[in-house]
Amino acid sequence: MSSSRRSLNQRLLLWSLVVLVLLWGCFVALAYYTGVHESDELTDGQLASASALLLNLHTQPPLQAADVTLAPRSDGLLVPPNKHHDYQQPLSVVQWDASGKMRWHIGAAPVPTFDTNEGYANLQLGPQAQHWRSFSRWDDAQAHKIMVLLRLDQRDHLAHDIAGKMAEPGLWLLPVVALVLGWAINRGLRPLHQLSREVEQLDVQGANRLEQRHDWQEFDAVVDSINTLLTRQQQALTRERELANEVAHELRTPLASIVLQAQALGGGLPVAAQAQALDAIRTDALRAGHVLQQLLALARTSRGQWHGTASPVDLAALARTVTADYAQAAWQRQDTLAVQGPEELVIQGHAVLLEMALRNLIENALRHTPTATQIEVQCGTQSDTTTGPWLQVCDDGGRASAAALPPIRPKPVDSLHLGQEIIARVATVHGAQFAAVAALAPFTTCYRLNFPAR
Amino acid sequence: MRILVVEDDTGIAQGLRTNLRQRGYAVDVCDGVALAWAALCAEPFDAVLLDLGLSDGDGSTLLQRLRASSGGSGLPHPDTPVLIMTARDGVQARIAGLDQGADDYLSKPFDMDELEARLRALLRRAVGRAQPVVRHGGIELNPAKRTVQWQGQKVDISPREFAVLRVLMESPGRVLSRRQLEERLYDWDSVVDSNAIEVHIHHLRRKLGSQCIQTMRGVGYFMPQDAP
Repeated sequence: MSSSRRSLNQRLLLWSLVVLVLLWGCFVALAYYTGVHESDELTDGQLASASALLLNLHTQPPLQAADVTLAPRSDGLLVPPNKHHDYQQPLSVVQWDASGKMRWHIGAAPVPTFDTNEGYANLQLGPQAQHWRSFSRWDDAQAHKIMVLLRLDQRDHLAHDIAGKMAEPGLWLLPVVALVLGWAINRGLRPLHQLSREVEQLDVQGANRLEQRHDWQEFDAVVDSINTLLTRQQQALTRERELANEVAHELRTPLASIVLQAQALGGGLPVAAQAQALDAIRTDALRAGHVLQQLLALARTSRGQWHGTASPVDLAALARTVTADYAQAAWQRQDTLAVQGPEELVIQGHAVLLEMALRNLIENALRHTPTATQIEVQCGTQSDTTTGPWLQVCDDGGRASAAALPPIRPKPVDSLHLGQEIIARVATVHGAQFAAVAALAPFTTCYRLNFPAR
Repeated sequence: MRILVVEDDTGIAQGLRTNLRQRGYAVDVCDGVALAWAALCAEPFDAVLLDLGLSDGDGSTLLQRLRASSGGSGLPHPDTPVLIMTARDGVQARIAGLDQGADDYLSKPFDMDELEARLRALLRRAVGRAQPVVRHGGIELNPAKRTVQWQGQKVDISPREFAVLRVLMESPGRVLSRRQLEERLYDWDSVVDSNAIEVHIHHLRRKLGSQCIQTMRGVGYFMPQDAP
């Protein structure tokens, strides 16, 4: 099998990975944005907490408040003095009195313009218009207002840091999950691989079948179908083998006889024996010719060209014409040959094939019955509408007891089987059925072609 | 050598009979299993040429019956060589035929020379001889060429004399009665004179020396085995 062919394993893995990556991406993105949002909320809460604490503690300006300095980092962010935790952020605080006079100020934030509003706000402060997040509130007496500020980039940095740490495991877990998924798919598809191997090892010529008792109910239909197909295939092969055997026998027997007679002639024979040998050669040559004719007929029926090119054929007229051709042969055997049927019986079919089939039916009746046999070609239509026209050849070759029959004729030149095989194939081309049917008295044997209803 | 041809096709049966007779064999023909079994029980045959598709059954049933025979009184010898000749196709049929006890298998149509060669080989094997040429004393008999040499010189010999000599040479040291010789040399259709065997023996002695064939008075004839 070519390695360039697509693999179901790979396809399943690919699709699973695509879906996994999409879902994983959504999950990571969601985790990231949740992280950002929650850290923002956390920071806001921190600002509110700091403001509540400082509002109650520092109604007076803290000592050396102006000395609080922040060291800038390489990325521009400010590092608070006495930093003890990664998430420790540099806050700035400004307090005003009710008249808007600034009482004290701590931190690196430029002093914002006083207003009476409370709550959270994003401010742009200083000459460089830096973004700050602020929270301001009045004390209960409305005498002092305090504002706690944090640089927005400082807050965002923290938020991204937290969100990144939340999303990071998702990224490195993805390849691990993909590997596990691949293994799981391979493992899960193992029964399918096993079934494929079993199917691959099946020998159409042999009699083996797939194991009916599979553990997986999904395989039942497939196994049943494959086994049914195998049975049909083997039946067809057996039929073909038997036919080949039959043909070989029919053809080789007269040829063998011809060879032997010719060799006997070469060995020198008395005149009477010579005439006998020559007569045998002539008979066997005709016999071989007849078999060849049958074979050609068989080959003609097997051609695909017959399907779908049917034309109207008058079966009754065909029966009369073909039967008339055998008048002399029947007379020589003291047989009676007759036709019974309507004046006209038109079906869709192939006149050439139908004639061939009818000739075989009549010839079989002539060849495989004792002399003085009554043979009748019959055709007609069924009274009901479920079945269509029919054509049959009946004879009373099996009449009475063997003792009452005329002397046995010479052995037929061919077997019944080859002729019947031709008729069966003609029937198949016409969608008809060919079988022996019960014969009405005085006949003992009837072979009938039942055509489909129009 | 007496051959039973079991064949239901008249042309083939007739052709085999004529050809084999031309080659010095005694041939009897049966067209069915029942007749063939009766023939095998009635007469000793050196070999059987068996067709499989017979009028009253399959030839393989006759083969199985023959191989299962005890070989006692009125029954054929189970080791009688059988050559199947059939028009059937396929290797399986050959395998089945050989497995059922056939000694050889020939597909129709066949060349008569090939059939005879195979027949000779069967007959040779049946008497436990590997060499194609039979030698006894100064006599050399070639079944394939149908020639006899005496002291290196070719001897003119009639088909029937050849057949008598061959039977005796293939059974060295064994006394064969006149009846036994007749059974091996003549088929049912042959008209045998009462002293035919004596005449053939007389002619053989004249051509090959008086000591070549010994008479056991009141019993029959034999060719003594060569001294070891």
